[in-house]
Amino acid sequence: MIPAYPLGLLVAFASAGIAFFALMRETDGLHRLLLTDLIEVVTLAFIALVGTDLAEALILPGLVVGASELIALSEIYRIKEGYTRPPADSLQIEVMESAPAILAAILVVYGIVLSGFSGGAVAGLGVIFYFLCRDHNERFELIETASGYSWVLWIIAFFVFMIFPEYWFFAVMLAGSAILVKVMAKMSLIGTMRGGPNA
Amino acid sequence: MPDIGGIDLFVLEFGDILHYYTPYTTTLFLLALIFTALAIVSRPEGQIDIAFGGDAYYAKETTLPEMRFRRFMAIACGLATMGAMGSGDLFNFTLFASLVGITNVGIVAAVKNRHVLNAAYEYGIVAMVATLPLFGGAALILATTGTLSIPALAAGGFAVPFVGKALLVLGVIGEGMAPFYAAKAEMFRAPGAPYVIMCSLSSLLIFLRVVEIAITI
Amino acid sequence: MLIITRISRFVSNFQNLVALFAGACIIISLIGILSLPLAFEEHQLYPKTLDPASSLYPYDRGGVPFGTTEVVAQYPENSPYVGYVTTYLTPLSQYLADHTHYLGTTIVAHPGGIIDEILYNTRGLDTVVETSILFTAFAIASYLYRREEE
Repeated sequence: MIPAYPLGLLVAFASAGIAFFALMRETDGLHRLLLTDLIEVVTLAFIALVGTDLAEALILPGLVVGASELIALSEIYRIKEGYTRPPADSLQIEVMESAPAILAAILVVYGIVLSGFSGGAVAGLGVIFYFLCRDHNERFELIETASGYSWVLWIIAFFVFMIFPEYWFFAVMLAGSAILVKVMAKMSLIGTMRGGPNA
Repeated sequence: MPDIGGIDLFVLEFGDILHYYTPYTTTLFLLALIFTALAIVSRPEGQIDIAFGGDAYYAKETTLPEMRFRRFMAIACGLATMGAMGSGDLFNFTLFASLVGITNVGIVAAVKNRHVLNAAYEYGIVAMVATLPLFGGAALILATTGTLSIPALAAGGFAVPFVGKALLVLGVIGEGMAPFYAAKAEMFRAPGAPYVIMCSLSSLLIFLRVVEIAITI
Repeated sequence: MLIITRISRFVSNFQNLVALFAGACIIISLIGILSLPLAFEEHQLYPKTLDPASSLYPYDRGGVPFGTTEVVAQYPENSPYVGYVTTYLTPLSQYLADHTHYLGTTIVAHPGGIIDEILYNTRGLDTVVETSILFTAFAIASYLYRREEE
């Protein structure tokens, strides 16, 4: 029987080769951006092949690096090509106009109860829902600032872990709340960044 | 294993991730520190284009918000480089290298010049796909040796596969284009001298560091 | 024409940059395939154990919340409270874990709790750098986006 790890490596290397071959042949800018996803998947496969708890923990940074670079690059692509207006005015979904705002509030509260990363995702969904339903002139800078400060809290929690390990419980709670605000702010911002004037 | 970095001068412990400074990495660290300080205090250059065969010239103005954004990116780039210089953990080093790559894109992305943006975009794609060799190399070394710590690997007793090292070096080249500066020439058309210099300096430093890592482990 | 002139001319055209890097990666992938089989080291840090009976399966990290848990860390002496942080569940998740068997498969599952031992304590610097990358990328995107608005 062939051991699992070399077999997995063989598949991973082969798919990396195929993905890079596709990237080499492609010349269109947008298609190149889409093909990078094909490569990111193989990156995650390399990490996942280790198959320990540590690998599970390393997948998250690997995934986030790829996703965040995709955000920045797609925005650069949009500016570089000069696409400023969205194809349609905005979402034309009738039920969204009559949906009660209480649904958004429930999602946010439920997200806060959940706390942590998935809590932030649920609460962020609530905020996006609210912005999609209402005609919004939200203050992007304010949300951005909130996200920045929660990032700082996160870093503080890390240093508490490292310098005062006996206060680990405080650090756990600090990091948990910070990531909630951070994920919520980022998700709501990305969800509303649709290009065009006040879209 | 050849010890080209010299003896440890200073070790900073963050749980499983050590930061250690040898005479070699301290030199690189100080270089990054000095250039970050320069990027903080200096004002951006005012580039002037002279129209060929006449007296006309265009002065390129850098607006205040743009200057502030690019200075922020240059400082972030300097901090990331300093982190990469001392890092004693392979995966953490690759993360710092990715941070250097994305801040390099950020330094030039704020420029309102179509040509510079085109170059920054192409370079950004390379920096993005370079995460495969970077993380792939680190994961391969973790799987075959069971550790990510550079001091532990340098102590010997581990058979680090050649392809793992090659992947790491290739990844760092992709993040910074380090020895192939001709590839970044178009990006340097961007006005704003101290920040653009940060781009090339940071990529050179992370390349020097990864060479040291590849020889040591 | 000198060979170096030709090479630097090819390299300096940024249209060729991606293709060039992709080509180098293909070569490395071939070297990788040729260097197989690579042996898998059995003594890994933070080894994974699967317990299908656990309600947190497959994300169960083992151990008691806020108690000691066996963790194979690289430098255990640097983290005196290693193992304390793992498996923390928010009250709602704890309730679900006590009453259902499939918490590990739903979105409300928090792998290892809101805070994961490896990510946040022993290898916390990884997450710090990772969030910094996200923050930087986000700053670039939102700067470009907001500049358009003005």
